[in-house]
Amino acid sequence: MSFFMQNSLRNILNTRILISENIKRNIFASTPLAVKEIRTVENGKDITISAEIIESERKPFLVENNSGHACPLCASGLDVKHTDVLILSQFIRSDGCMMPKRITGLCNKQQRRISSLVTMAQKSGLMPNIAPPNSKRNPQTRFGWKKFNKYFDETTIKSK
Amino acid sequence: MSTIKRVQQWATFARIWHIYDAAWQNPFESAKLLRKYLMGMHKPIYHPLNDCGDHVIVINSKDIALPGDEWKKRVYFHHTGYPGGASWTLAWELHTKDPTLVLKKAVYNSMKGNLQRRYTMERLHIFPDSNIPENIMKNVSNQLQQLRPKPTRLDSYDEKYVKEFPKIIDYPKDYILR
Ligand SMILES: [Zn+2]
Repeated sequence: MSFFMQNSLRNILNTRILISENIKRNIFASTPLAVKEIRTVENGKDITISAEIIESERKPFLVENNSGHACPLCASGLDVKHTDVLILSQFIRSDGCMMPKRITGLCNKQQRRISSLVTMAQKSGLMPNIAPPNSKRNPQTRFGWKKFNKYFDETTIKSK
Repeated sequence: MSTIKRVQQWATFARIWHIYDAAWQNPFESAKLLRKYLMGMHKPIYHPLNDCGDHVIVINSKDIALPGDEWKKRVYFHHTGYPGGASWTLAWELHTKDPTLVLKKAVYNSMKGNLQRRYTMERLHIFPDSNIPENIMKNVSNQLQQLRPKPTRLDSYDEKYVKEFPKIIDYPKDYILR
């Protein structure tokens, strides 16, 4: 065996060891129910971006879903209106966009209904603090007709 | 005559001053309510020829709410009488020029066009905000109930209250917060 061949074989072995170590690190005895927060720390010239695993702050206030088959919203039996911003704000990200179905875990019907209600609440200016960072937070500084108060009728939401 | 009956007698024949907060109210639904009090139709002695209407003070008329996209769909027509004198003004344009006019026109148009209408409108006092002159405010003895609840903005809630409000969904495993 030549020197080069030996060297490359050692490299391959090393990478194999590394891969197996990675696999070992990803296997947990119990499922960790944690969310990750991207933290950006700027220290002079250095920017450190890290994903910190934190405990979900919603956990102690979560309503239990005992039904087994129904989605969380159907199981709660709530008739959500577009003015119920405390509930609607749970389904959106910090920039105000609706979370997809695989994250909210809602059924088709509720997902469509909630995304309509979120749009209504945002047009009414009821959730001005959850919006893109460069947007006008105060609804009264909006353009033209958008700055005046408006409300919506939930029966106009089309549902199959 | 009992005391209650006597007070009812006074309330019927006196001109009562009502106050109505128009914030987040539909002006056209409100007009039907205000019309009743302005014309005195809530009184047992009502008759079209009987001048028994009350005064109504409307505050916060700049904060009225229209459903959906009605601010840019509702059109106010005016014609000067000269050729080419027609003009169309959208509701939001009219409201920008004068925040009392949409409500005033709604009340005016909700009533029948007879000789009494102009006098009835004189008893309606609309203010764009809640700054009312003291001499008018001291007459008020009744508040009319709002027709629809005023919605609460998310940023007006206490931060701790929002955080501890019952949550319907939790984030899935390994979800990256953003
Ligand atoms: Zn469902």
